[in-house]
Amino acid sequence: MERAWQELIDAVTGGERRALGRLITRVENREPGWQDAMKVLYPRTGTARIIGITGPPGAGKSSLTNRIAGILLERGRRVGIIAVDPTSPFSGGALLGDRLRMRDVATASGIFIRSMATRGTLGGLCQGARDVARILDAAGHELVLIETVGVGQDEIEVVKAADLVVVVCVPGQGDGIQTLKAGIMEIADLFVVNKADREGADELVADIRSMLALSGDRNGEAPPVLETCALSGEGVDALVAALVERADRARSSGERTEARAREEILTLIERELARLVRRRFGSDSRLDEAVKSVQCGEIDPYSAAEAILDGLGLVE
Amino acid sequence: MSDTHDDLERIAEAEEQWRRDVVEPRLKRFQIEKSPTRFYTPTATRDFDFLEKVGFPGCYPFTAGNNPFDFWRAHAEAGAKLGIRPDSPGGGAGAGRYSGYGTPEDYRDYQLRMQSLGSRGGPNVAFDLVTQCGYDSDSPNALGEVGRVGVALDSFRDFETIYEAFTGERDIDKVASNFTINAPAAVIIAMYAALAEKRGISLEKLRGTPQNDILKEFIARGTYIYPPRPSMRLFRDTLVFCRAHLPKLNVTSIGGYHIREAGATRIQDLAFSFAIGCAYLQAGVDAGLEIDDFAPMFTFNAFGGSMQLYHEVAFQRAARRMWARLVKERFGARNPRGMMIRQPIAAHIGCTSTTLQRPLNNLARAMVGGVAGGMCGALPAAYPPFDEPLGLGHSLEAIQLQVDATRILIYEAGVADVNDPWAGSYFMESLTDETEAAAQAELDKIDGMGGAVAAIESGYMQRAIARSAYERQKRIDSQEELMVGVNCFTGEKEIEVSVNRAVEKLYDPGQMATAEERQCAKLAQLRRERDGKGVSRALGSLETSAKDEGANLMPDLIECVKNEATIQEICDVLRGVFGEAEPVKL
Amino acid sequence: MGSDRKIRVLVAKPGLDGHDRGARVVAYGLRDAGFEVIYTGLRQSPEQIAAAAVQEDVDVIGLSILSGAHLALTRKVFETLEAQGAGDIPILVGGLIPEDDKRALQEMGVAEVFTAGTPISSIASFIESRIVNA
Repeated sequence: MERAWQELIDAVTGGERRALGRLITRVENREPGWQDAMKVLYPRTGTARIIGITGPPGAGKSSLTNRIAGILLERGRRVGIIAVDPTSPFSGGALLGDRLRMRDVATASGIFIRSMATRGTLGGLCQGARDVARILDAAGHELVLIETVGVGQDEIEVVKAADLVVVVCVPGQGDGIQTLKAGIMEIADLFVVNKADREGADELVADIRSMLALSGDRNGEAPPVLETCALSGEGVDALVAALVERADRARSSGERTEARAREEILTLIERELARLVRRRFGSDSRLDEAVKSVQCGEIDPYSAAEAILDGLGLVE
Repeated sequence: MSDTHDDLERIAEAEEQWRRDVVEPRLKRFQIEKSPTRFYTPTATRDFDFLEKVGFPGCYPFTAGNNPFDFWRAHAEAGAKLGIRPDSPGGGAGAGRYSGYGTPEDYRDYQLRMQSLGSRGGPNVAFDLVTQCGYDSDSPNALGEVGRVGVALDSFRDFETIYEAFTGERDIDKVASNFTINAPAAVIIAMYAALAEKRGISLEKLRGTPQNDILKEFIARGTYIYPPRPSMRLFRDTLVFCRAHLPKLNVTSIGGYHIREAGATRIQDLAFSFAIGCAYLQAGVDAGLEIDDFAPMFTFNAFGGSMQLYHEVAFQRAARRMWARLVKERFGARNPRGMMIRQPIAAHIGCTSTTLQRPLNNLARAMVGGVAGGMCGALPAAYPPFDEPLGLGHSLEAIQLQVDATRILIYEAGVADVNDPWAGSYFMESLTDETEAAAQAELDKIDGMGGAVAAIESGYMQRAIARSAYERQKRIDSQEELMVGVNCFTGEKEIEVSVNRAVEKLYDPGQMATAEERQCAKLAQLRRERDGKGVSRALGSLETSAKDEGANLMPDLIECVKNEATIQEICDVLRGVFGEAEPVKL
Repeated sequence: MGSDRKIRVLVAKPGLDGHDRGARVVAYGLRDAGFEVIYTGLRQSPEQIAAAAVQEDVDVIGLSILSGAHLALTRKVFETLEAQGAGDIPILVGGLIPEDDKRALQEMGVAEVFTAGTPISSIASFIESRIVNA
């Protein structure tokens, strides 16, 4: 028997981990009532610092996240981790393998690790990750790390949910920073060169610094570039200190909150509109007729769409 | 085969004519697009140079085999008349049948029983997973695993207990020992040396083979501890120490077998095995050893196999030739013994070719493996016994059938009467060339990545194998690859043929159930009785040496085992210095 | 159920057995059947398996064991899940499991035992029909 939303929320705020897992699932699946549940949870959020960790595959993000979480746990902090992997466009399924690298911390009582698939919908992940981060926040996790692979659009989107964005790269990946997708460079608040014991680490650090210098100021301060070795743990203490300090600063300065709130509201509206339109046309013959007209060349797709929107009273 | 250009042109023309006049009409008659069979002519091997490509059995490049006839073949007929099994496991002084279970006491008693039944060889030891992964029997990781897939071993005391069965005319200067151990191989070798010392036996007399092939663990078998680089450091230390002090001990037994069983393709098996072999050889060279001195002490466990008879024969020929060339050209070796692939078996079907469904069919399958093996100059072993996939141990019936099948191949079919019977075949020579070329291309690719260690660190090999395994499963699920009784011919009319299986209870299941308990009790006793200070001192010294990249850890390991440090205590010190290997993401 | 619902499966190898070919093939196969597969790899302790099952809120747990330790390990996993309030999550076991042990596992509460030669589609449809939509 499925528990009612309120019962589930109470169990979550009461510390039940199974309930937390269930709540995340039901919100992620957009089960009816999910928005109301988020409204109930919302007042309990705002404490957590949300840190996005992204970068090309092979950079060692999961291992680094594992190390960061370990240090935070040692300091008595409660940590939530959202590990994102892409959904297969062919099957709709996903192989979520980031937990593999987090075995050290996975059983600690102060940690909660959730693997999420991008599930393919535009903007879908960003909202999903934001909601899950909020749930983890409401459940008392002071830091939420969102780990994604920075190559797809979805994965980059997700860091919009974060107070702080960390970009992890490694030396020896051919083109150096060229492998970093456009967009990541601009949103990064902090760079980490992982596997810094490898050849080319110093050069990569220098490359990043000069790239940052060229791209102009961001309120005067260039993002720091740190070196770590996730395998040995070297440099991770300094990284954690920098992360916590900057995340706190970002939250309290309210620097991005206006832009993020605007973006979130618009996204929610767009998604709901899109959903309504699709649902509407599930039972409306107008789309089928338009399709037939376009197919036999009676009308072009642009005019067909306009005609439908006009019929809905939605053309300006 | 040295057809002139004109000859080949005429043959090519004749082939064209044959296609038009004979093949096409037949295709039309049966309404198929493409012929299901192929035919090979001299045009397939245009520039075939017999001496370069094949040569003679026992001579470079060893394509036709390591020798004109194997040890078992020399007296096979005489042996048959006396009812002696041709390969006589345990009949000689080599390491006997692969075995291991329970506690060291259980295993010692098992060995004594075997000896009373006539076994004369040394132990061929299977260790349990707890030992293989460098844990003690009372570790939380040991749950359910103690003494299960092999004997539990926690300390030198346990090692000595096993060897209570090997004294007198079976003492370790007279019989060889095999150890299937990889990540903590150095510790086991240290115990072997410590035992010899204790018994007043010169280390130079010790014979046997530790598997000591850590790189394949990362990609196939999974019993690794430390990351690849420190693991190679340990390998180097065992290699250098063995060459200096245990000159008769084989240093490693390189295993493509596990790589193939993990899902690798035939080409990956060959390329990855050799990339790994080259990494080990390079370790020796980098340590200042002479290639001609240590390469002969490298053995191969076995490569993988499959049901594709022709391909497996071509594989073996290509493998022998390729390794010989690598050792000679890449490493500048001159000693032919170092260029040979010394392995106990050649072509075979591999255990993953056997089916759980209609298991008696596995006998027919194993026969194919025996034929392939015999054609590669090895014992035509019709392995494995048909009930292998049942997971309940090989029954006496299955073993009898397997052994008889092997005998039938030797004595009735004469499969092993001709060296490299396929030499010169247009088909087989071109298939061998193709196999070698494909493997070489893959090996070049790995070299481009920086070699086996780099390819393992980046996860390249692991992902390649996982992909191949999945591709194969998809082919089976879609019936692109057919397995009789599994994805075809499974209707109601098919009969499930069965036979009574009397599984010899070599291992007392009652003993297995209490092994963990008994072993933990012994550990507690050990910790009470030993000199704690000596242990700390030895472990401390090990830690210091481990931090020095240039130090050889073997002397410290010998000290540790003599002071009765446990396997986990030793391995934990090294874990502290080297770290633990990280799993690879798919 | 919401239309966004995906079936989530945990694939884990308990104990020290290092042969992960079967587990990987099943993981890939279930992904291609549209499931979200949380693959945790080798040497998973019962605690790690239970933590993953709870945090990931999986529909089913798949254990792959080829070392022969399946009875002891499966029992321990059940106990640990029970202790964490997740004893209701169904468990499937795959690997090298003799017939008699299959029965013992089923008596323990395992939903099904899948041995060598089982097509992945059977596992997928079992999960869909007998577990999720049961």
